[in-house]
Amino acid sequence: MKESVLLGVIAWSCALAPAHAGAPSPAIPRKPVTFEFDVQPILTRFGCNSGPCHGKSRGQNGFALSLLGFDADFDYSSLIHESRGRRVLPAAPEHSMLLSKPAGQMPHGGGKRFEVGSPPYEMLRAWIRAGAPRTPADAPRIVRVITEPAGRRLAAKQGFQLRVIAEYSDGSRRDVTEGSAFQSNDTTVAAVAGEGIVRSGGLPGEAAIMARYMNNIAVCTVTIPLPGDVPDEAYRKLPRQNDIDELVWKKLPLLGILPSPPANEATFHRRAYLKAIGRLPTPAETQAFLADRSPDKRARLIDRLLERPEYADFWANKWADLIRPNPYRVGIKAVWNLDAWLRDSFRKNKPYDQFARELVAAQGSTWRHGATVIFRDRPDAVEIGASVSQLFLGVRLECAKCHHHPFEVWSQDDFFGFAAFFARVGHKGGLSPPISGGEEIIFTMNAGQLQHGRTGAAVAPKTLAGKSLTLGPDDDPREVLADWMTDKANPYFAKVMANRVWSELMGQGLVEPVDDIRATNPPSNGPLLDALADDFRRQGYDIKKLVRKIMLSHVFALSSRPTERNVSDLKNFSRYYRQRMRAEVLLDAVNDVLGTEESFAAMPAGSRAAQMWTHRASSIFLDTFGRPDPNQDPPCERKTESTTPQVLHLMNSPALNRKLSQDTARPAQLAASKKTSDNIVEELYLLAYGRLPSSDERATALEHLSRATLVNRRRAVEDLFWAILNTPEFYIVD
Amino acid sequence: MAIHRNCQGTSRRDCLKLGLGALLGGGLVDALRLRSVAGESSGRSTSCIMVWLDGGPSHFETFDPKPDAPAEIRGEFQPIHTRIPGAYFSENMRRLAAISDKLTIVRSIRHDQNNHGAGNHYMTTGAPTRIPVSCGAFVSFHPSMGSVVSAERGAPNGLPAYFSIPSMARSGGPNFLGARHAPFVVSDDPNQPSFRVRDVAIPRELEDGRALSRRDLRSRLDQMARYRDRAAGDPVLGVDENYQQAVSIMNSAAAQRAFDIGREPEHVRNAFGRTTFGQQALLARRLVEGGVPFITLYNGGWDHHSNIFPAFRQQGQRFEAVVATLIDDLDQRGMLDTTLVLVLGEFGRTPQISTLSDGGTPGRDHWSNAMSVLVAGCGTPRGQVVGATDRRGYAAVERIYAPENFVATVYTKLGINPDKILYAGNGRPTHLVSDPRPIAELM
Repeated sequence: MKESVLLGVIAWSCALAPAHAGAPSPAIPRKPVTFEFDVQPILTRFGCNSGPCHGKSRGQNGFALSLLGFDADFDYSSLIHESRGRRVLPAAPEHSMLLSKPAGQMPHGGGKRFEVGSPPYEMLRAWIRAGAPRTPADAPRIVRVITEPAGRRLAAKQGFQLRVIAEYSDGSRRDVTEGSAFQSNDTTVAAVAGEGIVRSGGLPGEAAIMARYMNNIAVCTVTIPLPGDVPDEAYRKLPRQNDIDELVWKKLPLLGILPSPPANEATFHRRAYLKAIGRLPTPAETQAFLADRSPDKRARLIDRLLERPEYADFWANKWADLIRPNPYRVGIKAVWNLDAWLRDSFRKNKPYDQFARELVAAQGSTWRHGATVIFRDRPDAVEIGASVSQLFLGVRLECAKCHHHPFEVWSQDDFFGFAAFFARVGHKGGLSPPISGGEEIIFTMNAGQLQHGRTGAAVAPKTLAGKSLTLGPDDDPREVLADWMTDKANPYFAKVMANRVWSELMGQGLVEPVDDIRATNPPSNGPLLDALADDFRRQGYDIKKLVRKIMLSHVFALSSRPTERNVSDLKNFSRYYRQRMRAEVLLDAVNDVLGTEESFAAMPAGSRAAQMWTHRASSIFLDTFGRPDPNQDPPCERKTESTTPQVLHLMNSPALNRKLSQDTARPAQLAASKKTSDNIVEELYLLAYGRLPSSDERATALEHLSRATLVNRRRAVEDLFWAILNTPEFYIVD
Repeated sequence: MAIHRNCQGTSRRDCLKLGLGALLGGGLVDALRLRSVAGESSGRSTSCIMVWLDGGPSHFETFDPKPDAPAEIRGEFQPIHTRIPGAYFSENMRRLAAISDKLTIVRSIRHDQNNHGAGNHYMTTGAPTRIPVSCGAFVSFHPSMGSVVSAERGAPNGLPAYFSIPSMARSGGPNFLGARHAPFVVSDDPNQPSFRVRDVAIPRELEDGRALSRRDLRSRLDQMARYRDRAAGDPVLGVDENYQQAVSIMNSAAAQRAFDIGREPEHVRNAFGRTTFGQQALLARRLVEGGVPFITLYNGGWDHHSNIFPAFRQQGQRFEAVVATLIDDLDQRGMLDTTLVLVLGEFGRTPQISTLSDGGTPGRDHWSNAMSVLVAGCGTPRGQVVGATDRRGYAAVERIYAPENFVATVYTKLGINPDKILYAGNGRPTHLVSDPRPIAELM
C-alpha cells in the first residue's frame, strides 16, 4: 500500500509540473487524488450519479453509475473499462470524456456542470493524470459526518453558511462542504442552496436541513422564532390536562408561538364524534352534552364513544387502507375474511403487539383466518418484507432493494436481511389470483432461503438493529421477527402506531409521512412522540387508552382559529388543524342528516359506508371524495384534499338530489310534521353542524321558510337542507 | 358489487374516479400552492383522443392480415387494398382503408404481458406492472397518460383536462399524481336525447330559478369562519376556490357548449352514426374543440376468444366506420394536425385460430408478441406502415418498439418531456417513461 501512496505522490508532483503554460491554477489539489476519497464526491455533488442522470439503473446514454455512489467498484469499472476507455485517458487527461463532457467541450445531455479550470475540473484532471488510482483499502474511512452548527436560531430573511465536517477513522477531520448535497424539509421556512448556504424565508417555524456527503448524513435544525417577546408567564399559565400538553407547551417558546384558545363546547363535541367514531352526533346527543354541567363530562363522553360499535369500523377502515388487498388479486372470500379479522381486532381492542404478531406470523387458511391473506397478496418475501417494515416500523426499506437508501443508512444487505424473515413462508393450494378465489394455506416451511438481489448469496434473517440471526428448522423466523418488533426495546414499533393515531386525531402527524420515521425526517416534537410511544408500551399497547389520552389533552380541544402568534404554525399543534371528512364518513353523514339509507352492492341493506369490506363496490360518491383507487395496491394513504368535482357532486348529483327529495327523507317528513319552522331550523343545525344556529342564521333560515306557501313548504325545507349540506361547515372537521 | 368476469374485458367503473392523491411532502399549504400552479395552462393546443379497444383487438382481422398464411392462421377474411402502396388491411376495415392516406399503422409494438391486467397497465401508462398481475386485475402502479397530461398541461376554460368516456380504462387513474388528475368520466349515453354530462349541470328536475335561489340561500348561510392568511393553510379557502370553479364550469359557455352535443348539425351527428360509440366519438371531438387535451374513448368487448369472425363483421365494421368518420371530420376541420388519434388495445391475438373457449366457435387468444396500433394526426406522417410482423403474424420482426416508445411518442407530441422525473408520494424519483425515445417514424 505504501507503493500506491508513493505513486500518488509522484502523480501529484507530475500534476504540478507542466501542462499549464499560463498561471498555475489555484485549485490544484494538495494531496494525492484518489477515486473514493476525491472523485466520487464530485460525481455525487454535481448530480452525475443521481437518479435522473447516470445513477438510474439503466444509466444515461450508455454511461451508468451506482446511485449516489454506493458501489465504488461498479463506478470505477464503468469509468475506466467501458466505452473503450475513452472516459478516462491518462495520456491526455483533457480529452477524457469525464472532463470534456461536464465542462461543456463535448455535447452532454446533462449540460455544462463546471468550468474548465474550476476546482472540480482540476481535481478530476489531477486524478486522471495520476493514472486514476483507487483509494487504498486501508486509507482512513469516514466515521461520521456532522454539521457545524448542529442547530441554529435565525430571524426571518437571514442566512448563514452551513459547514459539513467528515470525521475519519484516524481521527482526522475534513471540511467536505464542497462535496456535500443539501436539502431542506421545509423550504418555506428555510431553504438551502447548493453550497450549504441556509436562508430563512418570511415564515416562523422550524426546518431540518439535511447534508449528505457520500453515504453519510447529518441534520441541522434551523429555528425561526416569531418576532416579539412572549413572557414566560404566558406559557406557565397554560392549562395542562396531561403530559401531552406539557410537552406541546414546552416546544412553543422555542418558536415564540402561543396556542389558540379552546374550541367551544359544541365544536369539541362534534370533533370528538368525528375523530373517535367517524359519525356525527345526533341532536339529542349534542343537546345533552351542552346541557351537562358536570366537570368530567368530556372524559365520560370519550369513554362512551370508545365503547360504541362504530369505533371498530372507523379504525379498522384505516388499517383496511393499509393492508386490504384488491379482491381481483386474492379472491373475494379472502378479502372478506381479512376485513372481518380487522374489524374484529378493533372491536375487541386487541393489544397492538398481538395484532401485529397475528399478522406477521399468520398461518392457516385464507378462507378461515383473515390475517393470512396479506401473504396471499404478497407471496414474495421481498414484497412482504418491504411492506411490514413500512407498516409496523415506519422504515421505508423499499429503496434499498435496488440500491443504498438515498436518505438513510439502509443498505441492500439490510433490505434482504429483513426480507429473509419471510423466506420460509410456505404456500399451498389457491389457484393463482384472481382466476379463482381458491383457498390457500399459509404455513412456515422447515427450510427456505432468500437470495441477495445483487450478489445472489443466501441471506440470513437480520433485524434492522443489524443482528444476523441463525435460526434452526424449528424456529419460525416470523415469530422471531414478531418478538423483536414487539420487544419493549424496539425503537420503532410503538412510535409508528402512536404517530398514526396522533395523526388521525389531530389531522397532522408528528412525523409526516406517518410511516417514514428516520433521522433525516425528524418529528416536529420528538419528546412528545417518545412520550406517547412509551406510554403506549407501558399500557400494554392498548389502542383505546392511547386514543383516550390524546383526546383528553387540552391540545386536542383547541380552537382551529389562528391567532397572531400561531397563524403559520402547521405542525406544532398550537391550534387544531381543520380537515375534510373522509369519503365514507361524509357519505354516512349525508345519510344521517337526510334520514336516508345508502344501498351498496355486495353489502346487506342498511349498511353504512364505514362497513364496506372492499373499495370495489361501486359508489360514485365515494370515488369522488377520494377513497383509494381500488385498482391501486395497498398501502393507500389518503389525502383529504378538496376538488372541484366534489363540490359539483354535492351540488348537482342527481342521486343526491333524488335522495334529498324522497318522500321518506327527513326534509319531506319535517315539512309535513307539526314542527314549527324554528324547530326545523334548529334540528337541521344540530344534525349537520352539531350546534344551534346563531340568531343571524336563524333569522335568515326562518325568513327563507316564511316566504314559502303551504304548498311549497316542502320544497323550501329541501332547499334549506341542500344549502346546509353544501357548506364547508358540514363537511369540514373543525 | 359487479363482479368482473375474467376475460370479458369490460370495466365496470363508470364513475368519476378519484383515487388517492399523494402529494409530495403533503400539507395543506402545499396542496393549495400546488393547486394554484396546476391551474395554469401552458397554452399548447395539441390534444389526444385515445380509442381504447379493451380486450386486445386481433391484428389479423384489422391492420395486419396474412393472406399467405395457412387457413388456420389467416382466418376467414380477405385482405383489401389501401391507399398506402403495398399495404393491406383486413376486409372489414373498408372505411379506414379508404382514408389510409391520413394515418399510420404501427405493426411492430410488442411486449411480454399476455394478460389483460398487465397489458392494460403497460400500454396505457408506459410502465410494466411492478409485480406480476393477472387477467382480471385492475391495477395502477404508475400514472396513466391522461392523468400525466392533466398534471402537465392543466385544464382549459374551466374544463377538466382529462376525460374518459364512458368509463375509465383499468389503469387510467392518476396514481400518485392525486385525485384532481383522475379522469372526468362521462358515463351517460350521448346518443340519448336526454343526454347531459353528470354533475356539471343542475339536475333536470330543478328549474333554473330554484337552483339559483338554492345557491343564494347557501351563500347567505355559509357562515364558517375563513382564516384568510394563506400561511394558516385553511382548507376552507380551497373549498371556496373549488366552489367558484364549479360555478364557473356550470356557467361556462365553452364548457356547456362542448357538452351540448345537440348543437351539432343533424348531418354531422348522422355521419358519426346514431350509436352510442358514434356519438361518444363526436363528443370527444367537441371536447377537443373546447380545448381538452386528453380524452379516452373506452370501448370494451375486444377479447375474442371465440366467435371472432362474426364479431368483426358486425362490431368491427361499426367501430371502424366511426373511427374513420372521426379522423375525416378532424381533418376537414383542420384539427387533425393538432389532434392525435390513437386506436389500440392491450395486445394482439394468437396467430393460430383456437376453439379453446366455451362454445368452441373460432377465436384467437392473447398475444403480446405482435399487435397493430393506429396513429393519426398531430404531425404523424400520413399514409405509412411502420414495422412488420413475420409471414404468419407471430412476432414483430422489423423496427421493433416497446410500449415505452409508444407512450413517449404520445407525450412528445403533446409537448411533454417523456424523460421527466416525477416524484411519487414517498419522494421517490420516478421516470415518466423509462425509455423516453419516441418512435422516430411517427415524429
